[in-house]
Amino acid sequence: MGVLPRAEPMGDSAVIITFGVTRSAELLGKVHAAAAALSDSSVSGVYDIVPGYLSVAVFYDPFRLSYMEIAPVLTAICERASVSSKAAVTGRQHKIPVAYDGPDLVTVSSLTSLSTEDVIERHISRVYTVDIIGFVPGFAYLSELDPSLRLPRRTQPRPRVPAGSVAIAGAQTGVYPLDTPGGWHILGHTTTVMFDPAREPPAILRAGDTVQFVRVD
Amino acid sequence: MDRFALEILNAMVGNPAGSAGLEWALGGGTVRFDSACAFAFGGATVRAIARGETVEPFTTLHARPGDELQIESFTAGRFLYIGVSGGIEVPEVLESRSTYLPGRFGGLGGRMVSSGNSLALGSQPKTYPRHGFTAPYRVLPQYANHVVQVTRGSHADLFDAERWRAFTEASFAVAVASDRTGYKLDGALLSHSYGELPSEPGCEGAVQVPADGNPIVLMADAPTVGGYPKIAVVSEADLSIVAQLTPGQHLRFRLTTVEESQRRLRQRAKDLNAIRSAGAASA
Repeated sequence: MGVLPRAEPMGDSAVIITFGVTRSAELLGKVHAAAAALSDSSVSGVYDIVPGYLSVAVFYDPFRLSYMEIAPVLTAICERASVSSKAAVTGRQHKIPVAYDGPDLVTVSSLTSLSTEDVIERHISRVYTVDIIGFVPGFAYLSELDPSLRLPRRTQPRPRVPAGSVAIAGAQTGVYPLDTPGGWHILGHTTTVMFDPAREPPAILRAGDTVQFVRVD
Repeated sequence: MDRFALEILNAMVGNPAGSAGLEWALGGGTVRFDSACAFAFGGATVRAIARGETVEPFTTLHARPGDELQIESFTAGRFLYIGVSGGIEVPEVLESRSTYLPGRFGGLGGRMVSSGNSLALGSQPKTYPRHGFTAPYRVLPQYANHVVQVTRGSHADLFDAERWRAFTEASFAVAVASDRTGYKLDGALLSHSYGELPSEPGCEGAVQVPADGNPIVLMADAPTVGGYPKIAVVSEADLSIVAQLTPGQHLRFRLTTVEESQRRLRQRAKDLNAIRSAGAASA
């Protein structure tokens, strides 16, 4: 793997900076700290910063800067961010109301051998962290689900999952911001609009934020 | 999808970059111009007729009120673009005038244009090129060339020499299951045992390889992160070529460096400026 963090080109307009090879909460903390430091640095020519589980991608204008010019600048910012762990992001806290009326609630109950009440109780009992944003605009991957609720994705993804669906898969939970195809198990729905292009910022959730689901009828 | 075609057309009708045009897929149809303007079309290969005569792609044409552009069926390519002076008047959403159908936002209220719709044009540019002005052939996307350049992707090292040889030497066919999110390819088996990796950032043009070994080139509506290993990224200068491939057509990949790939992109920007200058001189 060589020296970390390590910068590499990702196409003509992005640098991807990798912090490690194995997913962990500690590594994700480094990625979030680096993304925050990159954002605070407002490097001229940079127009987007996208954190993943192991790395952060920085999109820049190749008509103003070449890869060779920008990569060392970004790496230096990430190195400083990873040593000063206190510079880590201070996430905002969100409460999202959920009606637990999803089409997969009963299936999840039988697959986990828990009552539907227990499934709901275990879903609302935890405070989740936004690991990353992706898939579609405003979709937050939230961790970590109660171990007793962890199931593989549905074998047949649904062609259309309605916006606002609150769902689980593996160790994660999330809210579908748009009507999209999806393979997660739907426990319920929220009326909170997760993504609205007319709002600033359009997405409610940001990497590093925390979320608690609140049960409503 | 074929952004470069639209940007050439914008330059040919006196519009700033980023002006909205029409993206037209599949069948034929007719556009009527209610006011005087300049227009140009290009991208997919079509037979087009205006004022009773066949008209050529990537050529500036002046329309009088009531003139019609008749598009007949596509003979090659996937997306036709029509640039109109002033651009189609739609608001900027998230710094773009394009339409994002899955989110139902952008462009014309996030939906497709349908038959009978009337589209307003933005304020007309002070000048636009003369009727019949053509862009030099060498600056146009070389759609007949199906060898696209790629740079190494963020998971390039996960693929051994044998798979890299297969990736750069084999010919891949575009699969039917291709859309604005990604084009699936059939061809050399690049199958691997990595399965899904933790979700990592990607980009338009990224070539990701699911476990079955058939690569997917991410296109305009690509997600920002994904869990498949990314072997390579298509040079932005060649995304036009990929976008225009239809199911069953073949392409090959050739490895290049990011320096060369960025050099080609900057050359393309110079070519666009040259079209603007030549167009302005012809006005």
